[in-house]
Amino acid sequence: MDTQWPRFEVFEQEHPAQPHRNAGAVHAPDAELALLNARDVFVRRPDCHSLWVAPARQILARTLEEIEAAEQLATPPPAEGTPAQLYQVFQKQSQRQAQTYVVHVGAVEARSAPEALDLARQRYEGRQVFVWWIVPEASIVRSTPGEAASLFAPARDKPYRQPSFYRVLTQMRAVKSGETGAAPGETEA
Amino acid sequence: MTAAPHPALAAYLLGLADDELILGHRNSEWCGHAPILEEDIAFANLAQDELGHASLWYRLLEGLTGERPDRLVFFREASAYRCVQMVELPKGDWAFSMLRQFLFDAAEAARLGRLAESRYAPAGETAIKIRTEEIYHYRHTQAWIKRLGLGTHESHQRVQAALDVLWPYALQLFAPGPGEAEMTAGGLVPAAEDLQAAWEAAVVAALHESGLTPPADRRPAATDRANHSPHLAPLLEEMQSVARLEGPAVGW
Repeated sequence: MDTQWPRFEVFEQEHPAQPHRNAGAVHAPDAELALLNARDVFVRRPDCHSLWVAPARQILARTLEEIEAAEQLATPPPAEGTPAQLYQVFQKQSQRQAQTYVVHVGAVEARSAPEALDLARQRYEGRQVFVWWIVPEASIVRSTPGEAASLFAPARDKPYRQPSFYRVLTQMRAVKSGETGAAPGETEA
Repeated sequence: MTAAPHPALAAYLLGLADDELILGHRNSEWCGHAPILEEDIAFANLAQDELGHASLWYRLLEGLTGERPDRLVFFREASAYRCVQMVELPKGDWAFSMLRQFLFDAAEAARLGRLAESRYAPAGETAIKIRTEEIYHYRHTQAWIKRLGLGTHESHQRVQAALDVLWPYALQLFAPGPGEAEMTAGGLVPAAEDLQAAWEAAVVAALHESGLTPPADRRPAATDRANHSPHLAPLLEEMQSVARLEGPAVGW
């Protein structure tokens, strides 16, 4: 039996002028806890302005290779009468930055995720895209501006310190190398 | 050092600081042992936040008494600590630790909101600073209590059992200390009975929403912060062992 909780993809916006970027994923029993887990796992120290989470199983993800292979098969049209809905569009635009996966570029209205992908490829062409993500708007849970202070502000005035910051490490090294004599309670071998 | 606006204020601040320190230390025992990785990180964050809050209160206290926070934390005997017994209790199971944190967060939410208006401005400023973070803590723990309370038969039983044990201990958070009534009259600290009323209203509603029932008995497990459970001394022995090995000259 698979006891793992569902996976949610996390999108983080560091500054209002920047797009949301995929930061990674968290497991959570539901969207609210996914948002809280995302806050704790990804925005403890760096600056954050807004967070989105979406269940991974709702996301249509296609690489360039997958799209090229699929073009040999026609996308089946959505069933007659299917209502259009909003999909958010994300792209992986570069192979260089290992930490940046997909970045938000806009939204399209479509009757299915594959149709949204087709539309997105027409609307957001112009540069090489390595991976497309199509995320149904209805599946996204967002942090609200009202809760931004309690979610993100406390991280801002906390210094981020590597363990080496703490002086006791060098002190311990000095103790070990015998520079300051034996540590209290230590006996000569 | 500045003159304290009331001689009992230092003891009050010490109580706040010790509660945060000991709870933060207890919760840090989950580090690497929480039920899932994400919650391990989240709970460790929470524990670290409480230590940060303790540090703010200790520094405020230092301004009044000149006592160095490092000395207070690492070189004080259990009998000189002024934490409530709730934070001393062993971490228990996940439901117990989560519920303790929830009950404490709710008390913090009630206290900090009112302390923000203290006539003693430094306490007000610190309360405002801590409150922002506590809003998140409360949201996090409340979300968990709801899921545990309404989850499976086992999760419900465990969190209800934790509530039966913790409830009288939580009530100690509102037992007024020496001189507290006078400080309240002077606008320095909020009235203990107001805090308890606000806390009970919020907590009982959240517990009922989670299918949980607090015990009817409203007597606190303890009232004097100078009295401790047998769990505090072993906790301090471990927490202070490294600092005491190195001696008081080392800065932390």
